[in-house]
Amino acid sequence: MASQVRRAVITGAGALCAVGDDPASIWQAWRDGRSGVKPISLFDSSGLPVRIAGEMTGFDAKNFMEKKDRKQLRVMARTIQLAVASSQKALEDCQVDKSKLDKTRFGVIFGAGLIASELPELADAAHKSALPERGKIDLDVWGREGIPVIQPLWMLRYLPNMLACQVSILHDAQGPNNSITQDDVAGLLAVGETLRIMRRDHGDFFLVGGGDSRINPVSLSRQSLFFPMARRIEDPHLACRPFDVAREGLVLGEGCGVLVVEELEHAKSRGASIQAELVGFGAAFDVRLDGEGMARAIRIALDQAGAKSSDVDHVNACGYGTACEDILESHGIALAFKDRPTPVPVTTLKACTGHTGAASGTLELITAVQCLIRGEVPATLNHQTTDPKCPVTVISGAARKMEKPLIVKTGFTREGQCAAVVLRRWNG
Amino acid sequence: MAFGKRRVVITGMGAITPLGQSVDSMFQAQLEARSGVSTITRFDARSFPTKFAAEVHDFDLGRWFKDTTRWNHCGVNSMFAAAAAQQALDQSGLLGLLATGKTDANRFGIYLGSGEGIQDFDNLMWEAAKSYDPSTRTLNYPVFCKGARESFHAESEEEQELHSTARHLAGHFGLGGPNYNCLTACAASAQALGEALDMIRYGDVDVVLAGGAHSMIHPFGVTGFNLLTALSTRNDNPRGASRPFDRERDGFVLAEGAGMLVLEELEHAKARGAIIHAELTGYFSTADAFRVTDSHPEGRGAIACIAGALRDAGVTPAQIGYINAHGTSTQVNDRVESLAIKHVFGDYAHSVPCSSIKSMMGHLIAAAGAVELITCVEAMRHGVLPPTINYENPDPECDLDYIPNQARKVRADHCLSNSFGFGGQNTSLVVSRFAG
Repeated sequence: MASQVRRAVITGAGALCAVGDDPASIWQAWRDGRSGVKPISLFDSSGLPVRIAGEMTGFDAKNFMEKKDRKQLRVMARTIQLAVASSQKALEDCQVDKSKLDKTRFGVIFGAGLIASELPELADAAHKSALPERGKIDLDVWGREGIPVIQPLWMLRYLPNMLACQVSILHDAQGPNNSITQDDVAGLLAVGETLRIMRRDHGDFFLVGGGDSRINPVSLSRQSLFFPMARRIEDPHLACRPFDVAREGLVLGEGCGVLVVEELEHAKSRGASIQAELVGFGAAFDVRLDGEGMARAIRIALDQAGAKSSDVDHVNACGYGTACEDILESHGIALAFKDRPTPVPVTTLKACTGHTGAASGTLELITAVQCLIRGEVPATLNHQTTDPKCPVTVISGAARKMEKPLIVKTGFTREGQCAAVVLRRWNG
Repeated sequence: MAFGKRRVVITGMGAITPLGQSVDSMFQAQLEARSGVSTITRFDARSFPTKFAAEVHDFDLGRWFKDTTRWNHCGVNSMFAAAAAQQALDQSGLLGLLATGKTDANRFGIYLGSGEGIQDFDNLMWEAAKSYDPSTRTLNYPVFCKGARESFHAESEEEQELHSTARHLAGHFGLGGPNYNCLTACAASAQALGEALDMIRYGDVDVVLAGGAHSMIHPFGVTGFNLLTALSTRNDNPRGASRPFDRERDGFVLAEGAGMLVLEELEHAKARGAIIHAELTGYFSTADAFRVTDSHPEGRGAIACIAGALRDAGVTPAQIGYINAHGTSTQVNDRVESLAIKHVFGDYAHSVPCSSIKSMMGHLIAAAGAVELITCVEAMRHGVLPPTINYENPDPECDLDYIPNQARKVRADHCLSNSFGFGGQNTSLVVSRFAG
């Protein structure tokens, strides 16, 4: 298959989350067992049952933008600003001379989710149109007096395709441009799509990422209605406990991870420093939500990599820290690796950052790349006693040395969309 | 076609549109040059700058499903998708084979370009108003959050998420292959079809249910597009409002619906004796990388996209018998699209018929590309091309053959369908008469 001819390598990365603003510092926080989960400070969350999150304090997108581009920030919601900032960092990291790129073969593929409206933008319109005596909004008044007081470009600040669009505009990337919106697995699906585009020879150089920020009143009000979430306000850093018997639910985080994915010969010809190779991808739907689909995604990815399950050093898992999802993922991993003589070790970054939604796949993949570079795998923070219902061997307590050249990264949605990516150490 | 690529054919199609809730009724209405545009009934739009849209009326999911429980809390977007998917899969003859395990459900994927669910405008804006102090222009977030959690409906909030539609289709039909949704504004479902084509060509899967569904006919949707001045405000003549390529065009008309196709690897289709409606032969996607509000004035991205799709299909401009234009009825799109077609097609540009069905059924946003590809297939099968209605005043910058106002009998063997998204994503597809 053509994918074996055109090889994809990672030559740069940019990442932002609660515990750092570059891949190295995020990996170090993971290695040191530091959590970025704390009481929410971005807004007064006292009306919510959930008042903790892995928030980024002090993020200012202006610091990542050239002066001439900064005025564009006003048409970008926080999620989009995170994407733009991380992309800038990724391009700096890969040390490309943008003027030498073929812009028509420069693609941008992002994972993204719903972006909630910022209420101050709509509050005036809502207030003017409210009928307190009837307890509702009067659309007739909204049309006449509400609409005119909203900013003209309001909607553009929240469209999920604007992560990839704004990045393409800032860097003149005229190649394939897509926005995959499969929630928590969106970023890994974006990686898979990039590999396919490279296979069909429609691009050589890609920014591949995911960004998400749900630490705002609207998203958290919604999310806390339908997703089981940890409430542990007294010691928030202990709240996210992947695969642990005492886990109590999801902790939200925010952030972005952007990889520079490049065709091997393209990278070599410009003398790029190669961080890792993307050797396999698989996706599936878990129809019965029992781990079968997750296992299939992993096996397809290993097949594409031409690898055996025993070549895998460890799995960099999704590890939500929720009751059902950790069981599904554990069963999927166990099933995929059942022919191994010894169980595959599993670890996850999640407890440090909280769940970063559509950003999680690429953000966590970036930390896996750091593991390959450093030859060491950090433990899963807050994991003490593995839930007997989770048949996995979790790396806990201390980091361990990497022994084998492959890492499998998994991701999935609680509704069953699954994906797996296989990374290989680059030996030059 | 490049060596080694597997061929991909269309074996099933389904549509829910303002012009009809099946492929046949939709296409018939197009040939009769009917408009599906009328006054908005979904909410009180009397004082909105735009008071009309192309709605799907009298929709009843029970027509297609005995048990509609799964979709109880879904928005109409997911319900439209379900009905169109059921039609497409039913026509393909694959449902029985899936049920008996004769078609491998694990090599059967889904790739949608579907839109978000409908936000709870009433409760969200009411809670915002209640917690707002206009004298300080600040919101009391504890009050907002408490109120929102009481008034929001948990199930329907969850169904608004962007991966929900694809998840329900996979769950209901038991499709275990890769499950994707992309949302690239108006290019979404066309891009989904193109990426699905690629997954089958290179052997990742054998069959994909691909297409899109969307409805933005709600207060936030119309508010947003009105603020961008993208919608027609021809309130005195809603049926005449969508007038692609006409000099007096003043914006697009919002529509809703779904289009779904079953894309299948040729040998897989042949082996089971499937009826083949057409072959999907070309796909290309590019980005304008210009501005979020405007397309590139010289059509840079559109030109590369159209040329790339023809190259991918291995056809010359002269072989294209019909172009289904993006043709939104906005000043910029129609001018730039015409320019791009002329650039790629050269001398031939003026002799290839090119119409916009958005003149009749408005703009289905994310779902538009899928419905337009279905239209191309029907046009080839029936040997009739749908018109651009409301075409009255020639625009010197739009000087192609837009099939004005009435359908035309023409045999086309290859059709080009363009979809250009807000933000600069461009997708072109080529679909061809299946020649064995």
